[in-house]
Amino acid sequence: MPRLTKSLLLTIVLVVSAITCFGQSTTGTVSMSATVSKFVEINSGGAVTLTGNSGGGVTTDGVANSPLAVSINLGELGPSNTNSFVTAQVPLKLRSNAGYVLSMTATVTSSGTTANRIGAADVGFGLGTVSRTGTGVNTTGTDTNATSGDPTLAANGAVNGTSGRYEFTAVRSNLNAFSSATTALNGSFIMNAVPRSNANGLTVPAFFAIKPQFFENGTTTISVTFTVTAP
Amino acid sequence: MRLRLFTLLFLTTLIFIAAAQTTSAQALDISSGGLPTITGAVGGSVTGSANVQNDLVVTINFGEVSPVNSNTVVKVVVPIALRSNQPYQVTVSMSGLTNANSEALQASDVGFGLQNPRLLGGAGQLCTQSTHVVRSPFNNDPALTASVGANGRVSYQSSLGNLSSSTVILSGPELSKNNSIKRQQSDGWVFDAVFALTPQFFASGVSSATLIFTISPGPNVPC
Repeated sequence: MPRLTKSLLLTIVLVVSAITCFGQSTTGTVSMSATVSKFVEINSGGAVTLTGNSGGGVTTDGVANSPLAVSINLGELGPSNTNSFVTAQVPLKLRSNAGYVLSMTATVTSSGTTANRIGAADVGFGLGTVSRTGTGVNTTGTDTNATSGDPTLAANGAVNGTSGRYEFTAVRSNLNAFSSATTALNGSFIMNAVPRSNANGLTVPAFFAIKPQFFENGTTTISVTFTVTAP
Repeated sequence: MRLRLFTLLFLTTLIFIAAAQTTSAQALDISSGGLPTITGAVGGSVTGSANVQNDLVVTINFGEVSPVNSNTVVKVVVPIALRSNQPYQVTVSMSGLTNANSEALQASDVGFGLQNPRLLGGAGQLCTQSTHVVRSPFNNDPALTASVGANGRVSYQSSLGNLSSSTVILSGPELSKNNSIKRQQSDGWVFDAVFALTPQFFASGVSSATLIFTISPGPNVPC
């Protein structure tokens, strides 16, 4: 074997040996990352309150911090019910780590066939006072209620002087305003950095009201879907 | 003639380098201590080498840590192998994780502790006159010491928030019996670096941090 080749081979061996000996280190590295996505949720804020009803009742009640799935039988809505209003108050609980938008879609179907049947405009709606309280809640956050509040308030409705029919006249005070997804409430982030096991959140009552009148006889089904998003 | 002289000098240099590495071998060394593990993650992962002869290069992705992750905690265990023929100490420095929004993920939201010291095989040095000391407050499993504070936020006995520019987390007597020229499979100690992150209503975003573990000569304690 030529001397040059021998030298070359020896050099390679020594280089490899030297590199191998460098295989120790006094430092190590741990890199880490984590992702926080926008998160929103809506749940029941507690039991439903039904007042002014004649017959009927709460078929499926709300359970605080459980998925919102409430069913209410408003009972008799004809003139035989002498109460001023039949009102259902449904507590909602919202939680988010980002600004939120609560929208609502409502459908009203009646077995009646005339204009005197119960329609979406006959079902008053509004969101009540928003509450941000409790440990872990962003109590300084602000909210904008796009409804007019309790629809039974005198300022939110009156008897139509021409037709004689009671009407919910204030802004977004009846379900006719929610035939398609429409914002009812929006605001800043609700929860500070606390675990989901923290049961607090933003609570707001959703009011539904119907004025008993000489509606066309029949049955009516009202379906409301709340959706909360983080745009 | 000049080429031959150059070759001779070059070879001599290489021999000295190799010899120097041999004589100083294993003075202080840090490497992977085994395969890291992750539990409770949604969309998370951890990568590292299972081979204790490989460098400590670990990448942790805690995944989703908003309430979308319904697990109690995301826990990562990173085994770290240490070798030395002299008293040592381990320091950690951190960079990153500087969110201005206090509701976003902070260093104090990532629990960090050191647990489970154990011999790395038969050539690990078992000293009788002094012990390996995990410095306060890091001697805990943060997944077990997590608690909810008065403000509702989860805190830990120790976290990345306890790390300053270069914080000593461990020290002790020599770790290795032999004086091998390179890392062996069984010539030191292994410690578990434990990380815990509780999913919470953090402000949205992506956070990252880098930890550098360094082993260096430590307080002179007898073996």
